[in-house]
Amino acid sequence: MERKGLVFTVFIYASALLLAVLILAPVLWLFIMSISPAADLSAKPLRWWPQEVDFSRYRMLLSTVENSAGAAFVASLYNSLRIAGMATVAAIALAIPAGWAVSRTPTVGWSLSMVIATYMLPPVALAVPLYMGLAWLGLLNNIFGLALVYLTILAPFTTWLMKSGFDSIPREIESAAMIDGASLFQTLRIITLPLAAPVVATSALFALLLAWDEFFYALLFTSDLRAKTLTVAIADLAGGRVSDYGLIATAGVLAALPPVLIGLVMQRALISGLTSGGVKG
Amino acid sequence: MSALEIQNIRKSYGAIETLKGIDIALQSGEFLVLLGSSGCGKSTLLNIIAGLAEATSGDIRIGDRSILGVHPKDRDIAMVFQSYALYPNLSVRRNIGFGLEMRKVPVAERDKAVQEAARLLQIEALLDRKPNQLSGGQRQRVAIGRALVRKPQVFLFDEPLSNLDAKLRLEMRTELKRLHQMLRTTVVYVTHDQIEAMTLATRIAVMKDGRIEQLGTPEEIYNRPATLYVAGFVGAPPMNILDVTVRGGALEVAGSDVAIPLPARYAAIGDGARLSLGIRPEALRLATENVAGLSLPATVEVVELTGPELITTARIGGQKLIACLAPRARISEGENHRFAFDEEALRLFDPKTGKACEVSS
Repeated sequence: MERKGLVFTVFIYASALLLAVLILAPVLWLFIMSISPAADLSAKPLRWWPQEVDFSRYRMLLSTVENSAGAAFVASLYNSLRIAGMATVAAIALAIPAGWAVSRTPTVGWSLSMVIATYMLPPVALAVPLYMGLAWLGLLNNIFGLALVYLTILAPFTTWLMKSGFDSIPREIESAAMIDGASLFQTLRIITLPLAAPVVATSALFALLLAWDEFFYALLFTSDLRAKTLTVAIADLAGGRVSDYGLIATAGVLAALPPVLIGLVMQRALISGLTSGGVKG
Repeated sequence: MSALEIQNIRKSYGAIETLKGIDIALQSGEFLVLLGSSGCGKSTLLNIIAGLAEATSGDIRIGDRSILGVHPKDRDIAMVFQSYALYPNLSVRRNIGFGLEMRKVPVAERDKAVQEAARLLQIEALLDRKPNQLSGGQRQRVAIGRALVRKPQVFLFDEPLSNLDAKLRLEMRTELKRLHQMLRTTVVYVTHDQIEAMTLATRIAVMKDGRIEQLGTPEEIYNRPATLYVAGFVGAPPMNILDVTVRGGALEVAGSDVAIPLPARYAAIGDGARLSLGIRPEALRLATENVAGLSLPATVEVVELTGPELITTARIGGQKLIACLAPRARISEGENHRFAFDEEALRLFDPKTGKACEVSS
């Protein structure tokens, strides 16, 4: 490594610090909002720091008293977990065989490109056909229906990620396993999948985030607590006559917690997955 | 009964034919080396034997049973890959025993076989490590061990030493030879390294453009190359090839007034024929003034001392002549010398067909 001057080193650290502050500031502000009394948030000039810490909104949103705002929020949280979870599991289950097949059979690579091409369409373009399709299936305002829609978004993306992951695993290893007498399923289970584990984890996390954060389709295809997701529930909080910014911020913090926790747990796998896909090992 | 029989194997990818009719029959215990430069079809042939590629036509038999269409695992073969192809997520012990594990061999028996293979290859201490904790040479040993435990009828090696550094390659080459002498299993070994081919093989098949140029023992390939290609491919430095014309029972070297008598075994060749004369650099020696016999005069251009020998590049009538001399030979650039040789060292080729001229006995 070449030697760098002190000024340069300071500059690098200062830049990194600035970048971190820029990224983290909104998150911090979100948290401060969620614990500030309503008066502080509407005061002029704005109070950047709450006079007293107020956790009442958390209690309110997580309460399970029937017909309360909390019950609606908890129900949507549960819906989001189930829909995103189902869509992610299904997307990975599809992506592993599909990604492997495309990676090992380059002649069918065009089919994946065609599926990826559907990504170019804006969601609005597909909204009406999807709505009619779901209506025909009787799956409107249904968590399975929304999970199915999400699957059409997640599966091409995860398949593509998995394919690049499988591409970095030499085919000779699978040839060796074949000569050693392993069946296709054994080869995948004992050799290929463990080697692709970081990519599987990365795909799963990205798929989960995509499904968790989706708003447009959820808004169109759900109408009440049976299927409404978290993003729609937060929008509902802002839609009333009086908007409690603190409440919206609290819902935001709560909505961000599950993905952040999963991301922290999978941090190591995630980093190695991000690099192994891009660099040919 | 031959252990491995390759009958008229052809392979085409679309309009391109990479194998144009290969015939080889191996006795049990033979070590066959497929030798050729890249793109000659040697790896394709090995993959067809392994079952990783399908032949377009022809037949392959192992122990009198056609294996075309048979799944690789049922062919009674084991393969060592150039990249070792170890399973990175499994321990060395499990890597070696994987073939037995998949064949549902009981654990106790499997452990014994793994231990035995590890002892043979001197990797007993490494059994609990993962492949990424091993050096290149150790990985290669594990890959060989994985093939060994299965006790197959035929071992297939795909350039197994080409990823190793020069010193290790030499060591592993000897190791492979030792293993083959001990186990006496039939081996098919692909390489582009002619030294590996010469040292390991009981028979060499020199391949070019999807055809076998010559199939023979290392001694035959080296001393009696069947074509100009084989003469040029085997040997370092390769065989000298000089343009000559037959005139009055002598060979006139083109571009000079040098003539040497036509050896008796080539007496059938007619006057006026233009031929290529082959002579190994190792067959040439510095002629002393008063010794009679065959010799070629040449002007020395470059002298390179490699250690064990002095590689001398000289010119005779505009044609290049390389001689491997003893390191203490007194010779330097610009001098004229006579290079002596024995009549048996001469080979004649027809430059039009590239084939060696027939020898009358």
